[in-house]
Parts: sequence; C-alpha cells; structure tokens
Amino acid sequence: MTALLEATDVRKSYGDTLALDGVSLRVDAGEFVSIIGPNGAGKTTLVNVLTGLTPPSSGRVRFKGTDVAGVGPARLARLGMARSFQLVTIFPALSVADTLAVAALSRLRRSTRPFAALSRDADVRAAVDEVAALFGLHDKLERAARTLPQGDKKLLDVASAFALRPDVILMDEPTSGVSTADKTTIMQTLVHAAQRMGVRAIVQVEHDMDIVFGYSDRIVALHQGRVLADATPDAIRADADVVRAVLGIATTQGRTQPGRA
Amino acid sequence: MIVRALGLIAGAALVLLPLAGVPYTTTLLLPAFGYAVALLGLNLLFGSTGLLSFGHALFIALGGYTAAALTGRFGVRSLELVLLAAALVAALVAVPIGLLCVRYVKIYFGMLTLAFGMLFYSFLYKFYALTGGDEGMRVLRPMLLGRPLEHLDTVAYLTGPFYYYALGVLVVAALVMRRLVGSPFGLSLRSIRENAAKAESLGIGVRRCRLAAFVVAAVFGAIGGVLLVVPTGLADPLLAYWTHSGNLVFMLLLGGFDHFLGPVLGALVFILLQDSVMSLTSYWRFVFGAILAVIVIFFPRGLMGLLDARRAAAS
Amino acid sequence: MSAVRWALALGWPTPLFLPVLLAAGLALAAVGPVIERLLRPIYDRDESFQLLLTFALVLMFEDVIRFVWGTAPHQLGNVYLAYGQVRVGALTVPTYNLIVIACSAGIAAGMGWFLARTRFGRIVRATAENREMAAAMGVDMTRVYARVFTLGVALGTVGGALVIPATAAVNEMGIELIVEAFAVVVIGGLGSMRGAFAGALVVGVVKAVAIATWPEVEMLAIYVIVIAVLVLRPAGLFARATA
Repeated sequence: MTALLEATDVRKSYGDTLALDGVSLRVDAGEFVSIIGPNGAGKTTLVNVLTGLTPPSSGRVRFKGTDVAGVGPARLARLGMARSFQLVTIFPALSVADTLAVAALSRLRRSTRPFAALSRDADVRAAVDEVAALFGLHDKLERAARTLPQGDKKLLDVASAFALRPDVILMDEPTSGVSTADKTTIMQTLVHAAQRMGVRAIVQVEHDMDIVFGYSDRIVALHQGRVLADATPDAIRADADVVRAVLGIATTQGRTQPGRA
Repeated sequence: MIVRALGLIAGAALVLLPLAGVPYTTTLLLPAFGYAVALLGLNLLFGSTGLLSFGHALFIALGGYTAAALTGRFGVRSLELVLLAAALVAALVAVPIGLLCVRYVKIYFGMLTLAFGMLFYSFLYKFYALTGGDEGMRVLRPMLLGRPLEHLDTVAYLTGPFYYYALGVLVVAALVMRRLVGSPFGLSLRSIRENAAKAESLGIGVRRCRLAAFVVAAVFGAIGGVLLVVPTGLADPLLAYWTHSGNLVFMLLLGGFDHFLGPVLGALVFILLQDSVMSLTSYWRFVFGAILAVIVIFFPRGLMGLLDARRAAAS
Repeated sequence: MSAVRWALALGWPTPLFLPVLLAAGLALAAVGPVIERLLRPIYDRDESFQLLLTFALVLMFEDVIRFVWGTAPHQLGNVYLAYGQVRVGALTVPTYNLIVIACSAGIAAGMGWFLARTRFGRIVRATAENREMAAAMGVDMTRVYARVFTLGVALGTVGGALVIPATAAVNEMGIELIVEAFAVVVIGGLGSMRGAFAGALVVGVVKAVAIATWPEVEMLAIYVIVIAVLVLRPAGLFARATA
C-alpha cells in the first residue's frame, strides 16, 4: 500500500547549518503521528518541508503517491494537505465566517470566481456552519478574528485548516499558548473534528508529553536533524536512550542545547 | 442608513445637475467621473488586496493615449470601441508589469509601480515622433452610441450627452466592482491582504490573485483615463507623472478605502475641493498637502470612515 | 529616506558662497525635529502611509518655497565660477566640482565613522536591526528617531546646497530630485551606506553617458535600472546578507 505521506532521506541546510540530516518518515491512513524533539531538532523545518513551504535541499516528499517537494502550500492544500501554524495565524479583520469561507471556497475550487455572489452560496454557508459548530465557534460567526479571545483564535486557525476537509492535517503545536486546562479540550475537539470531517491522518509537533503520549499512535523523535526513534508510545517510553536524549532535554526546553538551528 | 440616504441624494443630484443650468459645475464634475472609475479599480488593489500602487497613473495615461491615437490617428470615433480598446491595451500592458510587481509587497510594490509609471512618463515625454512629446496628442470628440452629435457645441456636448455617458460608465463600473468585491474572488483578495501566508496555506493562489487584481485595476484605470481626456481633448505626459499617481492615492484616502463607494466620494470631493481652494489661493498645493497629512495621521479611513463612525455612534 | 527627499527640496535657495551654503543647510536642519514630531504617529503603520505622508509634505513644501522665493529659477552662477578652474591632464574641471566631490567624500567617510565607531551610531544600527529589542534594552526610541531624522534632514539640506551653484534652483527641483534620490536609494539598497554611495554613482554616470550619447533615454535609462535592480536584487546591489 502506498503511504499517505512519505518523506525519504530529506536533507535541508541553511548555509552551513544542517537542519534536517536524512529524515525519512511515513504516515499511513488512520494514524495520529506526533513529532517530538528538543528546540532546534528540526521539527518546524520538517513540517515546512512536508507542507511544501520549504523545498528540501535533497530527498523526496510524496503525498498520495505524487512528488510534492517544494510545490508550495497553495497547491498542496488543494491536493488535500492542510496545516496550522505554531503561532496563531489568522486574518485579523475578517470575520469567523469569512475565514472559514476562504477555506471552504478553496476546497470547492471556487476561490477565484469573480462574479458569483458569495452571500448566496449555500454550499459555502453549510460548510462554514458545520465547521464552526464542530469547533464551538458557531455563536461568533460575525465577529472579527482579532476580537476573539486567544483560545478561540487558536481554534479558528485550526478550524480553517479543517474546513479544507484535507486527507492529512499537519499541526505545529496546536496547543501552544493555551492554558493547560484548555489543552485537553482542544485535543478532544480536534480528534472529534477529524473523524467528522473525514481527515485520514493527523501529524502534529508537540511539546506537551501528556498530550503526545495520550493521543498518538506513533511518535517520531527528532534530534539534531535526525530521526532518533520512530515507534509506538509504549516502545518510546521503554527506550531509555530516547527518554534521556529527547525527553530529558525536551523538558528543559533546549537550555542545554548549545547550537540552536 | 445615513450612508445609503446620502448616497441616494447625491445620486439624484448628479442625475439632475445638467438640467440646473450650471454648465461650469457640470463640466467640473466630468473629471471626477473618470477618476472615480479609475479609483474603483485602484481600490480593489489597495483596499481589498492591500497593495498600494504609486504608479497607477500609468494606466490612466494609457487609456488617454489610446483614445488620442484611435480618434486622432486611426479615425476610430466610436467611444465604445475606444473604451474597449483601452481596456484591452491596459490588460496587455498590465500582465507583464503585474507579473513583476506582485512578487513584492508593501513599499517595494509601491516603488516598483512608481518606477514603471515614471518609465512610461519618460517614454511619453521623450519620444516626440510617436507621442507628441510634452505637447501630447489631441483627442477628437468621439461619437456616443454611434451618434456623431456634431450639431452640438463643445459645452453642450460635454454637459449633455457625454455627461450622462460618463455617469453611465461610472454606474456600470461601480456595479461590476460591487459584484467583484462581494464574490469569492473578492474574499480571496481580502484574505491575502490580511495574511498572505495563511491564505496560501488554505489553497489560495496568492500571486495569481494579486495579478488578477492588478490587471482589473489597470483596466478600470484605462477606462477612467479615456473619460478624463475626452473633455480636455488632450492626452499629455503629465497624465503618467508620479504626482498624478499620488493624487489618485490621495483621492482614495480622502474617500476611504475600506468602503467600496469611498473612491467615488473621494473623486467627487477632491475635484470640488480643488476647484474651490484653487479659486481662493494659488497655494492650493500647500492646503492639499496639509489635508492629506491630516488624513494620513488622524483619519486613515477617510470620509467614509467618518460617516461610519457617526453611524456607529448614533446606533 | 523620506527626510532626505524633501530636505533636498529645502536646501536650495541659499545665497552666496560655500561656507554660507553649508551653514544655511545645517541651519535648515532645525526643522527636522518639528517634522519628525509630525511623522511620529505613523511609525507603526504600514509603510505605504509613510510614503503618502512624504507626498503630502512634498506638496506643502513646494508651495512654501513658491511663497517665499517665487517661481523664477534662482541661479548662483557667480559662485560656481568664483572658484575658478583646474587643469587635470587634458581636462579642464571647475574647481567647484572638485570641492563638491571632496565634501561628498568627507561626509560619506564621516557617516561611515559615525555609524561604525560612535556609541550613538551603534544604537542607530541596533535600532534598524530590531526596534523592539533595542527598546527593550533601554534605548530611548523617541530620541533616537528625532536625532536620526534631524541628521537626515541636515545631510539633505547640505546636499541640496551643494548642487545649487552647479545648476539652478527651480521650483520643480524638489520633485525631480525626489525621484532621483529614490532611484539612488533603491539601486543602493535601503539601509546601506555603501549602497547609497554606489547608487548615486550609478545614477550620475548613467545620466552623464545618456546625455552624451542618446539624450532621449536619459530618464528612461535610470528607471530601467531601478526596475532591473528591484526585480533582480530587491534588497539593492549592496544589501547585507541578512537583509
């Protein structure tokens, strides 16, 4: 069976710095994969390469069997891969409804229709309502994104990615900047939404080990641009080396890392 | 409500004006119509897409010179054909320029468009044989809807048939623009203005949309340019000069860029204001500079923004 | 940058000989802080608004100058020739041109020393690099901006004063010079001192060559270069690697 998303021997260097040093990774349908590692391990670079934002220096990225290395985020989104960002990324002046409509229109391939009346598009309206309800934003549809509380902004960011109804969704720290109490709520919303929207696989970068071990089917541990381990949560927990090298450092958040990429 | 009521009153006044027997005011408004059409396009670029062009006068000049060449050199006197040709020429020129410009945003976009505008200005100014140099090219009176209207003197032609023709073009342009702004394409442009990286991650082709907005703006600019040169009967290089581009942006800001009728209001107020200030003092540029500075610093949302604020305060 | 632009417009109608020109240029820099105060509210806005405000100031100053000095060109031909001529090999060069070249080189060297060596120069560079960081480290942004702006105005007015005897002060000069200064800065790259110097050389040489060979393309050539630079090296010919 072909993998949904597959990276083979991906390298990425910025000048003299090697951010990714031969990373291979495979995500199959039905999986929830977490990427962990200390700061500077190359996690965000990996997400950027997987989502087509950054072309790899060498290596291959295949999505649903097609080579997508460096094709750019817009085309990948249309192919069925969505992402959310580490820092909340929204359209400040657009309403919640408009934000979700941007994604819904993109999925329906209607983004560039110049003369259709947006306000009369029932498909878009339905899609917006559905996603908004899933993420608890249905009573805030007309509010401008920038007026939302921080937690809702984060939800809106993720919700707009889900509104693409992607096959795969990559989330760079979906719970960063959210209080510990809200983290579980967000994760449950995400998993529920993924089921409802037909998302076939989730890949996330996450620092919170409770969330990583609580939700993942598989964990990929990165260290200095290499895959240190790629196994189930139980196997990772049992591997003393990985715990020391990655988790030990991860809990101190890179303070012990001299060379941050 | 206030905006709508004021709009209706203003619209009625514009329709009835030629009947009031004030030819001076009537002819005065003609350039405002031309500018309004151009500004509707410019605002798709700035208000919707967030790209501020400082060389938009290029397309006004392109429209003006197309009108001059067609009526004067090639004997094409039908205004409909002239408008169509101007739109086509503008689109053809805008595609390559746009391809280069939309790779940049903010001040780099502004500077690049400024450079292209000045390039065209220098071309018009220096290539005398082709463009008439600083004297420009004459624009002959075009036929409207196939009617030659030769029995009318210039004032009667301008304050009568041409006035309504220009107003009609403006109304059509405004309707088209309202449709564009309210379409999925319009929303895509706004999402790009707000956060291009996010729009891209949601599958919006950012550069293609920006290019499309640039070309649409250029077409509106050229149509506005045609309407501008018919009353004066002249297309000269100053149409493309960067201060003319600056004035366009001034009008846009005056009216307010986040309301789709802001450009129309801006053009009308600018023209009327210019007329009254110029009759008061020869230092009208100083007054206008001061007004622009005050708008930029204190009222970046323009007159429409003020109306909106009053409405918000009243409700 | 905007400072330099309209300051050029300010510097011209100054009387008589060189020291007076320079002194007048420097004295006019006193308007710097006033204008800086006016610009302050829009530092945080989009750069497009700053460009627009510059345009507003150009409109205003053009009329101020019209009001004070009228519309006729002011020429300072006697100053230009008062310094005589020098023979360099087969060429005869007006001494004044050499003085201008010397002054420019001196000012450039001074700016280089100022930015690289003095405490304030370092603060300025740090601010350009990262405003928030500099502010967080206790740099008084308001004062830095006011001083840098005034410095910009002073350089602009002195520059304006220097070119006057060689040409003439005409009303549209401000607008013409803005576009040329714009070309210089774009070619050199925003924020690069070496670049500005190189940009000025490029514009100067291109103008001279074009006037001598094919006058029609003089301005055209400059804009073609500006566009080529923006397209190929948007950060300018001498951009720092980080820019």
